[in-house]
Amino acid sequence: MTYKVEEIDAKRIVHLSGEIDMDVADKARQTILPLIEAGHEVHLNLSKVDYMDSSGISVLIESKKLSEQKNTKFELVEVSKQVEKVLAMARKFL
Amino acid sequence: MSELAHTNHTEKKDFLVRSSSLKDVRSFCREVFEKLNIDQNLKDELVLAIAEAAQNIVKHAYKNAPDTEDKMVVQISCKDNKLQIGFYDMGTPVDPGKVKHREIDNIKPGGLGTFFIQQIMDAVEFKDGKKPWINHLVLTKQL
Repeated sequence: MTYKVEEIDAKRIVHLSGEIDMDVADKARQTILPLIEAGHEVHLNLSKVDYMDSSGISVLIESKKLSEQKNTKFELVEVSKQVEKVLAMARKFL
Repeated sequence: MSELAHTNHTEKKDFLVRSSSLKDVRSFCREVFEKLNIDQNLKDELVLAIAEAAQNIVKHAYKNAPDTEDKMVVQISCKDNKLQIGFYDMGTPVDPGKVKHREIDNIKPGGLGTFFIQQIMDAVEFKDGKKPWINHLVLTKQL
């Protein structure tokens, strides 16, 4: 997994790419959570993620929960077809 | 479902029980499913279910042994359009009664992997592990 963070004023756009599994979930978590913790509005672009499992979904849930605590915004702006399928399955559960 | 190129086919491979092996587990599955001519949608789902099961071995059966040199085996068999995926490991014995996804109203991510496996596969069965194996999980799917 690789990532890039774009800064637009107080907004941070995080672009992740590659595969997100248990092995790299911490790297994704450590990329996103500190930005939310610092009060930034975080937009997550997953259009170049071609595999995501439950570990990746966990990172999204943690990010959303932290953004609610911090009273800021965490949004998915673009997702790949593969990620959308996993999200659809996860929505039945969440 | 596409027509299978091989109606009877079995392959197995062992992997170090590490989170860094999960990528290799997925590559192995993709290669086998390619040979079986399984369509892309189903292939993606099966790879996810298998990777989640392998992740559960790393996360739960080897919870207290992150640096183990043990290996787990993944075996994929296809017979008469029935796909059977076996997982063998020598970790802590799994209590099948405790393997379940969490309640739907509990907003925590844990257990999601097990939910994915149950959604994708037709059956999830824990069998007695025959020596040297401790755990033997079998996932099945009618193609």
